[in-house]
Amino acid sequence: MSSETRAARARRRMATAWRLLRGEDERARKLRGVLALLRPYRGRVVLMLVALVIATAAALAPPYLAGRAIDDGIRGGDLSALTVIVGLFFVAALVNWGATYVQTYLVNWVGQRALQDLRTRIFEHLQRLSIGFYSRNKAGVLISRLTNDVQALDQLVTDGVVTLFSSTLTLVGTAVILLYLDAGLALVTFLVFPLLLAGSVAFRIASAGAYRLTREKIALVTAYLQETLSGVRIVRAFGQERRHEHRFAELNDDYREVNMRTVRLNAAYFPSVELLSAVATAAILLYGASRVGGSGAVTIGILASFVFYLQTFFDPIQQLSQLYTTYQAGMAALDKVFELLDEEPDVVEHEAAGELPAVRGEITLEGVSFAYGGEDGEYALRDVDLVVPPGQTVALVGATGAGKSTLAKLVARFYDPTTGRVLVDGHDLREVAQRSLRSQLGVVPQEGFLFSGTIRDNIAFGREGAGDAEVRAAAAAVGAHEFIEQMPDGYDTDVGERGGRLSAGQRQLVAFARAAAADPRILILDEATSSVDVGTEARIEQGLRRLLAGRTALVIAHRLSTIRRAGRIIVLDGGRVVEQGTHDELIAAEGAYARQYRHWVEQAA
Amino acid sequence: MRTFWRLLGFLRPHRRGVAVSLALATVATGVGALIPYLVGRAVDDIRGGADQLWPLAALIVAAGLVRLVFSVVRRLVAGRVSLGVEYDLRNRMYSHLQSLELAFFDSQQTGQLMSRSTVDLQSVRFFLGYGLVFILQALVTLVVAATIMLAVNPLLAAVALAPLPLTVWFAFRYGKRNRPAQQEVQQRIAELTAEAEENVSGVRVVKAFAQEPRQLSRFGHRVGRVFSQAMVSTRIRAFYNPLLGFLPGLGLAALLLVGGRQAVEGQITIGDFVAFYGYVLMLAGPLRGLGVSLGMAQRAVASGTRVFELLDREPELTSPLGAPPLPAGGGRIELRGVAAAYAGAGPVLHDVDLVVEPGTTVAIVGATGSGKSTLVGLVPRLYDPVAGSVAIDGVDVRSVDLESLRGSVASVSDDAFLFSASVRENIAYARPDATAEEVEDAARRAGAHEFIAALPDGYETLIGERGLTVSGGQRQRIAIARALVRDARILILDDATSSVDPAKEAEIRAALEEPLRDRTALVIGHRLSTIQAADEVVVLDAGTIAARGDHGQLMEDSPLYREIVAAEGARATAPSARAPEAVGL
Repeated sequence: MSSETRAARARRRMATAWRLLRGEDERARKLRGVLALLRPYRGRVVLMLVALVIATAAALAPPYLAGRAIDDGIRGGDLSALTVIVGLFFVAALVNWGATYVQTYLVNWVGQRALQDLRTRIFEHLQRLSIGFYSRNKAGVLISRLTNDVQALDQLVTDGVVTLFSSTLTLVGTAVILLYLDAGLALVTFLVFPLLLAGSVAFRIASAGAYRLTREKIALVTAYLQETLSGVRIVRAFGQERRHEHRFAELNDDYREVNMRTVRLNAAYFPSVELLSAVATAAILLYGASRVGGSGAVTIGILASFVFYLQTFFDPIQQLSQLYTTYQAGMAALDKVFELLDEEPDVVEHEAAGELPAVRGEITLEGVSFAYGGEDGEYALRDVDLVVPPGQTVALVGATGAGKSTLAKLVARFYDPTTGRVLVDGHDLREVAQRSLRSQLGVVPQEGFLFSGTIRDNIAFGREGAGDAEVRAAAAAVGAHEFIEQMPDGYDTDVGERGGRLSAGQRQLVAFARAAAADPRILILDEATSSVDVGTEARIEQGLRRLLAGRTALVIAHRLSTIRRAGRIIVLDGGRVVEQGTHDELIAAEGAYARQYRHWVEQAA
Repeated sequence: MRTFWRLLGFLRPHRRGVAVSLALATVATGVGALIPYLVGRAVDDIRGGADQLWPLAALIVAAGLVRLVFSVVRRLVAGRVSLGVEYDLRNRMYSHLQSLELAFFDSQQTGQLMSRSTVDLQSVRFFLGYGLVFILQALVTLVVAATIMLAVNPLLAAVALAPLPLTVWFAFRYGKRNRPAQQEVQQRIAELTAEAEENVSGVRVVKAFAQEPRQLSRFGHRVGRVFSQAMVSTRIRAFYNPLLGFLPGLGLAALLLVGGRQAVEGQITIGDFVAFYGYVLMLAGPLRGLGVSLGMAQRAVASGTRVFELLDREPELTSPLGAPPLPAGGGRIELRGVAAAYAGAGPVLHDVDLVVEPGTTVAIVGATGSGKSTLVGLVPRLYDPVAGSVAIDGVDVRSVDLESLRGSVASVSDDAFLFSASVRENIAYARPDATAEEVEDAARRAGAHEFIAALPDGYETLIGERGLTVSGGQRQRIAIARALVRDARILILDDATSSVDPAKEAEIRAALEEPLRDRTALVIGHRLSTIQAADEVVVLDAGTIAARGDHGQLMEDSPLYREIVAAEGARATAPSARAPEAVGL
């Protein structure tokens, strides 16, 4: 091989190494991010490290002391020296206990605090992000960032860091003591090191894969169980129990099979480490024996110390090799968390955004077009011009994808229009502070999303510090007071997760009351489509009517009664306003609305 | 204790494996216990130099090798046993769940059942699979090491071993105290997750009412609760963990003190002393493990009680042994004096007499909770009546083979549950051997073929939780196709078209006309068009038949029917079919 190609190869290798280093640089930025989380607690971190050093030192003392007890006490026949050494031995054990306590406590304190800060930061960041972000990402994934990923980082920060420091210290400390006791014996002991290290790393890599596979398979088993439990009605109705049992047994067997791989790996690794320990002991004894009699001056005590150290010498190596898995999981979590934190909100608050003064409630759309995903995306709204005078109820009507909810979202400024302007009382929404807009605007989402807590909490949600009288007044205003009073705990009834303990109709009424309590000038409402019983239906209709009275309202309407009563009906099709007017005007015009209306009436009766 | 023995019963099919692994563990531990003794002897002979020492060194290596072989085989055998026990237990649990009747699942929360089949099963299998082996192995180690020590020097053995039982005790206590603390941490993390979940799902409400700061402070409160409980658990850990290391250290110190004196006085050799030191270190780990395993056993018994509670629950709805299949017939349904009730609740149905002639369609209407779903569930025997009888073509459904009975009835339930499988597999659910043509034909009749063909992989597209999300209307059409593919004499449609838009509904209705013509059908419907198309309408009120007749008759005779119809009219059908994810504020 010519020296030139060799040089080229070396250069290429250098370049690869450099790329790898730079790749790690991104990691380094993130790790610095983690360190930044620890900065406020650096005093405790230093204290923790001191405790760690003391604990490690105390843990390393006993084998050495035992050797000295043999040499100075037993062989020297000096009982007082023996007593002193035993005293030291006892003290070392006590110090180890105390220092370990302090170290464990501090590392968890700092770690938990830092993660608490991180959680809060992620949550805060999530709140800043726009609605568009939430429609792009699944809820489960976002929640997982706050829980599972932070948990994985917890592992890295607490267990990982402690293992790294304490195992390294123990390893180095033991090596130094052994070299100090006898360099020759120490080198013999170190001979088994490369073997153990290579074996451990290989084992960890292999078992990380095997464990991952096992987790995947058991997840399949659990998911299958969950699914057949949820679908038990269908299983019974079609009498397919036996087929499911068969399939479940297959999945169960797959899991057993891959789990057997972890059993095999463990069966090979741990006994091998024990063997290495026995071989090393034999080697030390043999080599030691050749040096005891001679001029080398290896005492029996030193030899004993070596044997004792060997018993625990392998532990830190095993622990360090375990770090690989923790590090990988932690880094993966870190990547995901940072990806989220790097996300920028779509709706950006204008730097010079002013407060929106108290409004009368006039809504104006000027040449508004909107495409999800920016100008290149498909347009959901095109060239919409619209003026809604204060106090008018506008019903938005149209097929799925006609642009009803997009229009409503633009007025609530969940999105900014791609072109054109949305104004309230003549103020461009982009130029006012989001908070000041939202405090004058109420939104009633479909199916009335409620938060867990009491009915009272939910009604008072939009109005901080609302008193009992105000809550009751709001409920009474939309006709919800009656059913709430009939609940076992009245206004203090716990609504359960997402309001699950209330019926769909009751949830609607509470959501109306919540909007009424906030007393907004402008109301945006997505009517529910779920079926409720006759009495509730009437109550909802009445509540809605009272809620809309006197406010500017945009209603994505699903009930004929609502549509008929609206001050104006806007018919959307393909993102454009195709017709508008009152019910009577539109019927008279004999257009799309009139045709559609006849169809609904036929369907309904 | 009875639970404990019953749990051990799960090991019976694997008793050979258990015996073999125990024997192997005994040999491995026994041979391993020789090593400290040999090291002790070597230390005593050390002055003889390497030439004299090599046989002892060779013995140490040989002991290590023997131990290696036995340990490897022991781990493989024990691992196989433990996975086998887990496999059996999980299958048994699943099969048992499959044998239980639908009413059982109505009375249980899915989450509860899941937790029994996963969490409780886990603690049982951990104990049977690993805990038991740990306990036995720890005992073997203890017996072997203690025997050698006592044989060499009883006094010294007693002194060195004295603090060790405390290790078992404290390890046990540690687990006992730390576990509830840890569970509370998990509980609070679950609360935090729920809080986060709610905020992500309800983000539109939060933003709309500009309540971000308040939600942040609520979340901050949850985070703080996790922190404070994590510190409770940390303090327990910080105290016990090093304590468990301290106790063997105490044994070593006692050994040093007493053994050292004995060595000075020449009662024992330095080699004995070194060997003892080795034994104490050798015992520390297993004894600690013993405490942990005892805690495991305790949990396993608690979990086992719950597992057995489930396994002991006898299936209440079975067909008699050797019951004949349902004889062929036209699908005449006859309910006589039927009453139905859920356990612990009042009657859902009472005094129901109903005859559905072959080939006719009967619509059932009534308010929520009036008993509609229960009534139709009686026909394929998803439930049994508490009084009265249900017969198909003159044969009591309780006297025939369940599988053939359910094979004669096809249902579409209101939630249109689909499995995580391909569209084809979902449609062919009730007849896995259905050909591609049959599946496609059923899909066409249910008005589903068109959208299925447009899916990325057509009929092979995966749907459900781990696949593509389909809209409510599409789900329902697939569910209808699933029912049609089973060529059953009786068809039950429970609100089957409620989330399909009007145009599609008309299309499905037209498609269903032919299959409904020559089949007996029970239809639960809210829509007037559904009700009007039926041969007869049955109005249920609080579990009894309040009125029956055709639409025209009922409009005249039944005030309740008129009220229901009026309510349907007041609520216009949704002007649009809604894909739930695409819209909504």
